[in-house]
Amino acid sequence: MRQQTEVPFMSRIFRHKLAALALALTVHGWSTAAGAQIVVKIGIGTQDTTTNTVTAGVVIRQLNLLEKYLPKDGKYANIKFELEWSNFTSGPPVTNTMMADKAQFGMMGDYPLVVNGFTFQSNPESQSRLIAVAAYNQFGSGNGLVVHKDSPYFQLSDLKGKLVSVPFGSAAHGMLLKAMQDRGWPADYFQLVSQSPEVGSTNLQEKKIDAHADFVPFAELLPFRGFARKIFDGVETNLPTWHGVVVRTDFAQKYPEVVVGYIKALIAANEWFRADPKLASEKIQEWTGINKEVVYIFLGPGGNMTTDPTIKPILIDAAAQDVKVLQNLGRMKEFDVTKWVDDSYIRKAFAELKLDYDAQLKSMANYEVKGEDKFCNKHITDPRKAGEVWVDGEGIEPFSSTACTLGAYSSIKAKGKKINMAYVFDTARGIKLFADQAYYAIGSDKAAIAPFLLKKDAEDYAAKNDGKVLSFEDALKVATSGG
Amino acid sequence: VQSALLKLTEPELSSPEIDSPPVEARAANTMPAKPKIDRVWIWRWLALHQRELRGLVVGAVSLALFLLCWHLLTKYRVTMHVRFVNVPSPEMVFDSLLRSARDNRFLSHVYLSCRRVFIGFLIAAIIAVPLGLVMGRFRLVREFVFPVSEVLRPIPAIAWVPMSIMLWPSNEESIVFITFLGSFFPILLNTLHGMVMVDPVFIRAAQCLGAREASIFREVYFPATLPYVFTGLTVGMGVAWVSLIAAEMISGQFGIGYFTWEAYSLVQYADIALGMICIGVLGLGSSALIRGIGRVVMPWGKK
Repeated sequence: MRQQTEVPFMSRIFRHKLAALALALTVHGWSTAAGAQIVVKIGIGTQDTTTNTVTAGVVIRQLNLLEKYLPKDGKYANIKFELEWSNFTSGPPVTNTMMADKAQFGMMGDYPLVVNGFTFQSNPESQSRLIAVAAYNQFGSGNGLVVHKDSPYFQLSDLKGKLVSVPFGSAAHGMLLKAMQDRGWPADYFQLVSQSPEVGSTNLQEKKIDAHADFVPFAELLPFRGFARKIFDGVETNLPTWHGVVVRTDFAQKYPEVVVGYIKALIAANEWFRADPKLASEKIQEWTGINKEVVYIFLGPGGNMTTDPTIKPILIDAAAQDVKVLQNLGRMKEFDVTKWVDDSYIRKAFAELKLDYDAQLKSMANYEVKGEDKFCNKHITDPRKAGEVWVDGEGIEPFSSTACTLGAYSSIKAKGKKINMAYVFDTARGIKLFADQAYYAIGSDKAAIAPFLLKKDAEDYAAKNDGKVLSFEDALKVATSGG
Repeated sequence: VQSALLKLTEPELSSPEIDSPPVEARAANTMPAKPKIDRVWIWRWLALHQRELRGLVVGAVSLALFLLCWHLLTKYRVTMHVRFVNVPSPEMVFDSLLRSARDNRFLSHVYLSCRRVFIGFLIAAIIAVPLGLVMGRFRLVREFVFPVSEVLRPIPAIAWVPMSIMLWPSNEESIVFITFLGSFFPILLNTLHGMVMVDPVFIRAAQCLGAREASIFREVYFPATLPYVFTGLTVGMGVAWVSLIAAEMISGQFGIGYFTWEAYSLVQYADIALGMICIGVLGLGSSALIRGIGRVVMPWGKK
């Protein structure tokens, strides 16, 4: 870091000579024959299993969207692009690959992103800039904390003094620190240890740890795989969580049109997902191994993540908060997030696609569950009270309320059909839930069934309405008999 | 024994760049510093230890050259197909060493790693040496054990991480198990190889002299195999350190391997290099220790 400003003159000459020698060997390899096509390599570091980033990575790769939007004329007439995709399970290796100039684009979650920007500050060749957002949740859902399903813990405070693992430096780590800060808990409230998703998942399954906090998609994936239960959702921290795309500035300044093309491909990938979320989820399962039901809870309608490439001020504010947390931990020095954001490329992409960037920037809307409820014969008016049932081999049916969803679930099941998953929405927080993992509260009149992520929320609701809390099975019975 | 081993290795920690120059200086300063002591004795001592002294000096020079190259390559950020643009310089690593050395946590990282490696290594030695001897002596045992060990041997430590978590009740045991696996196979194979290399003439001679199975084992096989056993132990110790990062990913809290891993997940290159060097120096120290023990146990061996 210190040497950044004092690169002596000699070394520059040295480097010039070497540059001539090594021209053919550098990462942006050039073919030596004069007049021939120039080959430019574009390296992209993706996180396929991190469902948040799929539309910035694996979808673009599999559908060859980037090839479609790469510039072809003018100064690019003689350039042949070669794409190099590399896949990692977390953000830091992507940063490492970018630092080594093996990737020019990279995508990762909020915490690794600021670490990326900060690490690049000491790189004499290039900086990194945030050019687009892959997906976000305004309230911090996506990160979550899970416990073993047989454990006696139902809320965060039950874990006092217990062994909790989280990948340090990840968005989930930030969520946990924020949650502790909000509650005024001391740093040693939990026994906090750092474990990668792979290690933490196995440890939780073997009950070696009491809880594991992780980023997308693990807080949904582990419960889906059947051994974990989510007891804390990032939504309770009320701090946005998001994934974004960074680019090396040396590359971006040389080939700005490529960066614009990449963002167009990202927009196209988002559209592709929203056009047919069921098919898209199935494809992503095929490409990444993350179960389609889990992909759908994140990126489907009313899902826990909004795919929107615009760089919203609230996300940047959240990143500034992340920087503060890292500084408090002594992991980071000065870093100005506002200088690190560069929206010129995405503005250009929007303009060329005839889209209104500023309008999109202001919108915080996701796409929602809609259509006709065929079970209760109603039009869906309140999407965050609705529900969905995914019938194996058929499709995903929307229903107007939790009661209708559960009623439909029973009737579909009675017909002998296989159900992949049913989804409902948390009554208090509006986040999408796996129906079979939720707690249900009914009032004394048994008119409405209210699903909750947290047992405590359900109990509060039941107490207030003089009702009781039901499991999924009991809620199904109520929905079919009395509802 | 363990704590003694630790004491011996811990001074090694202070990284080569501070360790090596004093050695050189000491060699040069011995004469003028104490002029009154009988010069003959000093000369004789120097003559006697000429080889070792030369070894030390050459070693120190080689380390110093390594540091100098590293320093120059990173200072001028050389890019010659191999790129040193973002490689941390020795000064940066030294800074982070100074910062860490003041921190008790860092020392406890080192202490815990040493403990894990030595426990894993000891268990491996206790099992692998006798097993290798028996396998070398009895064909049936070898035929029985060899296939399994050959299948398990090439599996890298990192691939054992999830299995190890599931196999053992505590994390500490899982970690020790991975370092155990690292050292087990080199020890076993070298012991076995030593047994195979024993000259059958010796055995026949011993038999002619009326030696029974137990005496042949004790008097012929064992001493003849011992040099190979120690080669195995040295290699095994090295591999135990190699497995450390994989093993300590499990811990999530302590150990020099974990320190390196955490530095990686926060992209702190200087700390990564510090962790690497630390593991290297600790590995060097513990291998030297094994060789030292080897010399004591086999006074007949070459110096």
